Amino acid sequence: MRLAGAELVESREILPGQWLQTYRAPDIIAGARAGQFVHVRAGDYSGLVLRRPFSINTMDLATGTLTIHFRVIGRGTAWFTFLRPGDRIEMLGPLGRPFEVDPRSRHLLLIAGGLGMAGVRSLTDEAIRGGRQVTLLFGAATARDVYPSSLLPDEVEYVVATDDGSMGHHGFVTELVPEYEGWADQAFACGPLPMLRALARLAATRRDRLGVATLGRKRGGGRPAVAGSAAARRKAFLQVSMEQNMGCAVGACLGCVVKAAAGPPVRVCREGPVFAAEELDWAGGW
Amino acid sequence: MKARRRVVTASGAAVPAKRRPTVRRIKPAIVPVTRRDGPTGGQLTGHAAGATSVRATGPAEGPSPAAAPIHEVDLGVDLGRGLVLRNPVLVASGTFGYGIEYGDVVDVQRLGAICCKGTTLRARSGNPTPRVTETPGGMLNSIGLQNPGVDAVVEKYASTWAGWQVPVIVNVAGESIADYVEVVRRLEGVPGIAGIELNISCPNVGKGGLQFAIDAEAAGAVTAAVRRATDLPLLVKLSPNVADVRPIARAIEDAGADALTAINTLSGIAVGPTRERPLLGNVFGGLSGPAIKPVALKVVYEVAQTVDIPIVGIGGVTELADVLDFLAVGAVAVQVGTAIFADPTLPVRLIDELGAECRRRGLDSHRALIGTALPKRATATSARGAEYRP
Ligand SMILES: Cc1cc2nc3c(=O)[nH]c(=O)nc-3n(C[C@H](O)[C@H](O)[C@H](O)COP(=O)(O)O)c2cc1C
Ligand code: FES
Repeated sequence: MRLAGAELVESREILPGQWLQTYRAPDIIAGARAGQFVHVRAGDYSGLVLRRPFSINTMDLATGTLTIHFRVIGRGTAWFTFLRPGDRIEMLGPLGRPFEVDPRSRHLLLIAGGLGMAGVRSLTDEAIRGGRQVTLLFGAATARDVYPSSLLPDEVEYVVATDDGSMGHHGFVTELVPEYEGWADQAFACGPLPMLRALARLAATRRDRLGVATLGRKRGGGRPAVAGSAAARRKAFLQVSMEQNMGCAVGACLGCVVKAAAGPPVRVCREGPVFAAEELDWAGGW
Repeated sequence: MKARRRVVTASGAAVPAKRRPTVRRIKPAIVPVTRRDGPTGGQLTGHAAGATSVRATGPAEGPSPAAAPIHEVDLGVDLGRGLVLRNPVLVASGTFGYGIEYGDVVDVQRLGAICCKGTTLRARSGNPTPRVTETPGGMLNSIGLQNPGVDAVVEKYASTWAGWQVPVIVNVAGESIADYVEVVRRLEGVPGIAGIELNISCPNVGKGGLQFAIDAEAAGAVTAAVRRATDLPLLVKLSPNVADVRPIARAIEDAGADALTAINTLSGIAVGPTRERPLLGNVFGGLSGPAIKPVALKVVYEVAQTVDIPIVGIGGVTELADVLDFLAVGAVAVQVGTAIFADPTLPVRLIDELGAECRRRGLDSHRALIGTALPKRATATSARGAEYRP
């Protein structure tokens, strides 16, 4: 975790109300991994007292740049769109825990709903660099909101679902999962809570339905991984990247928690944002 | 009725206590202070009155013309009962965790003190989410005192704190007087714990959920009970959600608190984006940030004219001007809370900026900046006459 300046290199609206910005921030991405995020300070401090968390969408160590992908939902996110190339802002990062891919996993299934694309996007690059096959299932309300395939690596198999059927599968992205879950060694998801909840339910029943073993059972020598550890995530079939309103983003304020399957609520900024699905309580309610 | 505290002069005559918060020096002067006050420059000046450097390092040496001509400023603050801070910038409870979360980003050893997250007798899992949201010029939070309980806090953090030079003040919360007393008992004598800050903005189960902080009798009773249970320096944190804070402050002082901190958050709500329900999972939250600074200044202004014990101002500190404002209305120190989220390095920078400001004004310490905006009085302060009149 470092506090460092970042210079805007490029900024464009890739979809209505959705922006992709490239920042030069070599100090932030040094050592950063897929799934981590940055906490960014918006300018007008008299009105905006909180930073904004953004997933590291992609990063390029060669140029020292990272991209963030966001939807304009308020004054804070709007403020970022007014920046011009050359403008400097300040970032805190990299923050949170990354996705953990088991070394034996060849086939990765990524599932993103809407802006959840920003949460899993960096993993496509990391996985392809590692010689893995990636299928990315993407769900949006309508064709207008579908993430452009031109912004994805060619190696990715990209499957789209829209709620209104205007592009790809007509229905929820989760309905595509059964087709791929037998092929997949591991799955990684980010998106709206109902989507993640449906996926968690699928993952929990996967063994019974497909008769497959959970990853890592043999290799762990029967010793269960410590809850919340990198090993626990690496052994999980489904890892999810969670979202929550944040204050500090470093674990100090307990503003960003989600309910855990056992024990006290866990911090999305510190124990997350990536969790093994079975680490969380999906029942809803408090 | 409160017996007015009296001080005794050298001649032995008792006089009414000066209405000036205590700011005592932290150590005997060990380093002579040099000041550029003549063409000779770097001349050793006596300064018997305030020559301690807060950042004096190295052995005391004789005067040297080559010594840096910058005069050191004493930013030390005495909050009573031996709780002496090197400078008047603290970090506020709930915004700085247990002091370790910001890692290398913040040089915590430079802080005046750290107030840790609210700590209760048993572990609490806190309120439903969402727990935080931004509001105009501020934020609302309803964490609900999620914490692992006092024993776990001591076990996990106290040994780390004991190795620090920055004092750690444990913020204590409870639902009954017995709860508060038991938490404090378990903190008593633990190395690494420099003081207690009572968060009395909690529902008092014994009084039908009425907050301790809004009831002078309950606030006094909990303070007195904790006072009996500990010799640790005892700070009590005032809530602004009251009609008149002065009787409450007076009751807390009379019950033996060493200092007051003010203010905790203001109660508020935000509405969810679909307008189907309030946004926060707990419905109600506490407002903090620049939006509450005027309220905090008012509370400090009133309380400074009501009690003799030192007051630490809290609420919306985001720049040096805010620190100076709080000092002017009678605070001896400030806590920085919400602003840390946007700028974790702010508290340390404020220390440097306050020192520089004192130097610029030729002051040996920030003491001369305290209480300058309070009404001038020849006699001991009356609680009357400072009300807001539209
Ligand atoms: C996220 C958050 C958590 C807080 N938790 C506590 C707490 O546990 N105990 C307490 O006495 N005050 C708590 N506070 C109140 C702060 O310590 C402080 O009194 C208040 O935020 C006003 O200062 P500020 O405007 O500088 O933030 C909390 C504030 C925030 C924003
Ligand atoms: S945002 Fe403060 S603990 Fe996560």
